[in-house]
Amino acid sequence: MSLLHIAILSPFIFAIFIPFFYKGFKSIHTGWFTLILPIVLFLYFLQFLPKVGGGSSVIETISWIPSLNIDFTVKVDGLSLLFALLITGIGSLVTLYSIYYLSKEKEQLNTFYVYLLLFMGAMLGVVLSDNLIVLYTFWEFTSFSSFFLIGYWFDREKSRYGAQKSMLITVFGGLSLLGGIILLYIMTGTFRISEMLANVDAIVNHALFIPAMIFILLGAFTKSAQFPFHIWLPDAMEAPTPVSAYLHSATMVKAGIYLVARVSPIFALDQSGLWIWLVGGIGIITLFWGSFNAIKQTDLKAILAFSTISQLGLIMSLLGVGAAALHYDYLDDNIFMVAIIAAVFHLINHATFKGSLFMVVGIIDHETGTRDIRRLGGLMQIMPITFTIAFIGAFSMAGIPPFNGFLSKEMFFTGMVRVLQMDIFHLETLGFLFPLIAWVASVFTFVYSMIVVWKTFAGKYQPDKLSKKAHEAPLGMLISPVILVSLVIIFGLFPNLLSDTIIAPAAQSIMPQFIFDDIHISHWHGWKSPELYMTIGVIVIGALLYLTAAKWKRVYRLFPEKLTFNKLYDALLPSLETGSNLFIRSHMTGFLRSYLAYIFIFFIGILGYTIWSKDAFTINRANTAEIGIYEIVLALLIVIGCVTIIFAKSRLTSIIALGAVGYTVSLFFVIFRAPDLALTQLVIETISVALFLLAFYHLPKKFRHEESRRFKLNNALISIAVGVIVALIAISSYSTKLFDSISKYYVEHTYDPAGGENMVNVILVDFRGFDTLFEISVLSIAGLGIYGLIKLRMTRRKEG
Amino acid sequence: MINLIVLPILIPLLTAVLLIFFASKVKTQRWISAISALLNIGVAFSVVRKVFVDGIQILNVGSWVAPFGITLVSDMLSALLVLTTTIIGFAVILYSFSSIGKEREKYYYYALVQFLLVGVIGAFTTGDIFNLFVFFEVMLMASYVLLVIGGTKIQLRESLKYLTVNVISSALFVISVAYLYSVVGTLNMAQISERIGSLEEMPGILTVIAVLFLIVFGMKGAIFPLYFWLPGSYFAPPIPVMALFGALLTKVGVYSIIRTFTLFFFQDKDYTYELLMILAIITVVVGVIGSIAYWNIKKIIIYNIITAIGVILYGVSVATTTSFTGSILYLIHDMLIKAALFLLIGVMIKITGTSNLRQFSGLIKHYPGLAWTFFIAAISLAGIPPFSGFVGKLLVIQGGFTAEEYIGATIILLSSLLVLYSVMKIFIHGFWGVPKEYAKKESISYRALLFPIVLIITISVLYGIGSDYVYSYVSQAVQTLVNPELYIEAVLKE
Repeated sequence: MSLLHIAILSPFIFAIFIPFFYKGFKSIHTGWFTLILPIVLFLYFLQFLPKVGGGSSVIETISWIPSLNIDFTVKVDGLSLLFALLITGIGSLVTLYSIYYLSKEKEQLNTFYVYLLLFMGAMLGVVLSDNLIVLYTFWEFTSFSSFFLIGYWFDREKSRYGAQKSMLITVFGGLSLLGGIILLYIMTGTFRISEMLANVDAIVNHALFIPAMIFILLGAFTKSAQFPFHIWLPDAMEAPTPVSAYLHSATMVKAGIYLVARVSPIFALDQSGLWIWLVGGIGIITLFWGSFNAIKQTDLKAILAFSTISQLGLIMSLLGVGAAALHYDYLDDNIFMVAIIAAVFHLINHATFKGSLFMVVGIIDHETGTRDIRRLGGLMQIMPITFTIAFIGAFSMAGIPPFNGFLSKEMFFTGMVRVLQMDIFHLETLGFLFPLIAWVASVFTFVYSMIVVWKTFAGKYQPDKLSKKAHEAPLGMLISPVILVSLVIIFGLFPNLLSDTIIAPAAQSIMPQFIFDDIHISHWHGWKSPELYMTIGVIVIGALLYLTAAKWKRVYRLFPEKLTFNKLYDALLPSLETGSNLFIRSHMTGFLRSYLAYIFIFFIGILGYTIWSKDAFTINRANTAEIGIYEIVLALLIVIGCVTIIFAKSRLTSIIALGAVGYTVSLFFVIFRAPDLALTQLVIETISVALFLLAFYHLPKKFRHEESRRFKLNNALISIAVGVIVALIAISSYSTKLFDSISKYYVEHTYDPAGGENMVNVILVDFRGFDTLFEISVLSIAGLGIYGLIKLRMTRRKEG
Repeated sequence: MINLIVLPILIPLLTAVLLIFFASKVKTQRWISAISALLNIGVAFSVVRKVFVDGIQILNVGSWVAPFGITLVSDMLSALLVLTTTIIGFAVILYSFSSIGKEREKYYYYALVQFLLVGVIGAFTTGDIFNLFVFFEVMLMASYVLLVIGGTKIQLRESLKYLTVNVISSALFVISVAYLYSVVGTLNMAQISERIGSLEEMPGILTVIAVLFLIVFGMKGAIFPLYFWLPGSYFAPPIPVMALFGALLTKVGVYSIIRTFTLFFFQDKDYTYELLMILAIITVVVGVIGSIAYWNIKKIIIYNIITAIGVILYGVSVATTTSFTGSILYLIHDMLIKAALFLLIGVMIKITGTSNLRQFSGLIKHYPGLAWTFFIAAISLAGIPPFSGFVGKLLVIQGGFTAEEYIGATIILLSSLLVLYSVMKIFIHGFWGVPKEYAKKESISYRALLFPIVLIITISVLYGIGSDYVYSYVSQAVQTLVNPELYIEAVLKE
């Protein structure tokens, strides 16, 4: 076990100690104890920075299930390191922030930090595992820790709803991912991504390539809240705000992006264009739909949720479009590579500005008691620091210089505009949609960014609508967002701090076919660049739309509430339940006669079909005796007896008829020279008839329910058919004696060595005495049962 | 020849007899039951080790050489199932101490449990098709009595259905054995296999008999469309009995299908295995539908039995080494986890006095241990790694995909989601939310009830994480399934 493994598992180990710490040191906020770990891990991962340049990586393995090729292999390359730093870095800031956000008096801090640590460990596992099964394991862990964090305040109906929704959608994606992993395994014989990469040609030309791609994309899209699976993310906002900042904005929802980036070297080679269209197309639709819907929200957190959806779509679309680079000459100055660089860069930027904005919303909620923009306003003077943070974060998100969001947004435009130069997979005709939608969505992004800042901080202060008297947040709560917005500014002014240290190695991992070095991110692309005019357009049109929002907001009414995917989800679960219930009730009648009818109909159908299709019926009279008058008479007696049992009007007649049938059978034994069997049968018949008579004496008089003629007819048909089938199989089995019976052995060995004179007896007590022993047990069990049944009556007691 | 392998049958048999004499002394009965069950775990474990080291073990009862006497055969499959059975038996017995109630204890409850174990373990161990029938009878008779003992109205009503269906299936079982005997002339399973294997082409009648066996065991194993009796019958008895039924009885049916289909009916697979596959897939679907249809926690778990049966048999029907391995891994997992789940909902019912999920909530506040144990059981059931259900399901699906049986494999993959939904519904509505007041009639010994459950769950978690260790045993079990020669050789050529 290497240090890397310990690093991944350390949050789990740490989590075990949290409850003890919580109990032992009530006066210290549990968060302080927790905080140590992400900071140490962040520092630990920092030292990998020099090791991953130029596409190199660090690999460590410990075996878990080697027989199935499932080993806990950890690989640190540019991409995973970027994520590991995000997870631990944002993790430290969020933990620090949560110490001031969650009161140690009111909240169950032990469970909160256990979940948070579980998440951290799981997320590290996802981004560092090279073995896909291990990745999948951690993937599901992130879903479940998210489930628990969303349901943290489980007294609330909405929390439970949100938790269940996120679990169902992300676990669905997880299973789908598992399906994809299995298909990849079938194609390559390995679960390790790095080994699959060595085998790319075999995968690309395999028939399972497209199904595997779709399965894996379903996993990625659900996790990263891509359209139409985005519906779980707004409801996930029921989680405490630090959690939303961490899981549902900065890290977990980016697991899908990570996955797409991780498998890009395989699937981006897709020759059908499906990958580009799916990843790019779904991404760009999500970008648009998220930003468009963010504007109509009135809850600050909901705005940020839709904004996150939109921004995830943005990164996703870049990864899709960037895949086109692989379909052109593998030149290092391939113009389509920029999309990949933009994706990585924006991923970092998004974490910084969105993280700070979530923390701002948390502060506002904490200090004013509401997140509703209709009740907020005029907080600029009261909360100046919070305002500054929000201003920087939102303007970065809107893509305004000099913040980091501006740089990556321009790069995004560059990537999208270059789609116009692609001439593959119908991009030459429909490709123009990419820059167009990108631009429109950016306008909406600008609008909601303005809403976040100005609706909250400008305008009139309305103290009467707030449940608390607003004031600036405590210092501790401000530290984390201040650090994040500092990064927003630093990365905005000096983007090339990142370019060779983190962005290039990460992009290298996404597209190992190229060499990413000398990445230079510049603020100014010259007067001729279309990006410049797109950005100016966004600001001008965006500002206009923001100012006239009241006029055009009616547009949203064009989308009827009933037709949203949310409604679909809400309708799906209950109707699934009702549907299942109806289905079950339709045949689970509770009546034995229905069940027997189903079983026998199946019996007749399947055996009848088998006999027919296998031509299994044979009859061979070579070894059968002549049928004489006795046999015919006895057979007739049996038939008459059986008919009487069924049609008799009283129990007595039925029982007597039953006895008659039994005695006739024993006569058959006599004719066929089996005297001991005949005797046994006689005894049994006599006893059972007597017992039946005794028992029935105590039963109510009513014997038969009157049934409809159709019911009777059906039952009669079923019975006859069952009889015919059994008889057909019996005749055929008897006629197909393929081997000698082992019974000769018994004949020869009854005297010696068994030492008996009656073969049947010897079989019963010696050759197969083991059977008899347990048949005796059966009788004793029955005896115990009858005794218990008579003596013990618990009817009046409650069952448990 | 080794006497060791008859011990797991004899110990519960003798214990049962002994217990009858101590009917009124409840404390003594408890001690005897628990010690005997614990002892049997040890013996079963040593059988597993013995088979692991020295291969298939056999015992010709009464020294009548195979195929003329009755032969007991412990291959790895049977040894593992016996071990699992003894563990579940022990846990259920412990649980019964504080759950089943003095009245039932005085009326031979513990003896009957031991008899049930005799039947189940015997069925797993025997190498004789008629003897299998006998052990089925032991098991069924014990189950009839366990189901009816106490004599409440619902028990009597459901016993009648259960009894009728099983008597019919037993009759069909005997008939099927007779047909098979007529065609192949022997009852020894190894010899049946050998004789059928020596045929150049399987005659149609054998295919018919195969289908007949499928019906007989399918009724026990509750596959579609033969499962109708199960939801009602399993609903009626007290919780520990329900756990025994849910964990063991259906699995004996499944085991018998696996045994007969791999040992006897390995020819004409295009027909018989295809039929099995179709039924298995529908069984999964029907099970899932049932488990999401109800708000009654007993019903939810009961329908999950059916789903699991479908998953296991799907793997069997694909019939590759991978899929068999998956099925066996999943079978053992499912026995453990079903027992645990039934016992868990038993505790919930004890606490709240109801099995209706709409009538209780917020249990996690006062019973966090119960909640977390339930959660682990729930995600194990759904096959979330690294817990016990995962590797089995992975291999079943992988086997399905490799054999290009895409529909079934995809259905099983996605069925996990609804399985998860059905049990997490219990978690979300029963454990989360605001605690309610319940009219408690009796005080419950929460810790004593939780202990055996934690025991099973611990084993199940180790089973999942230590999959590699388990795998070495299970892959040995699968060898007999893919290569019946091994079984034949061990029995007939000693």
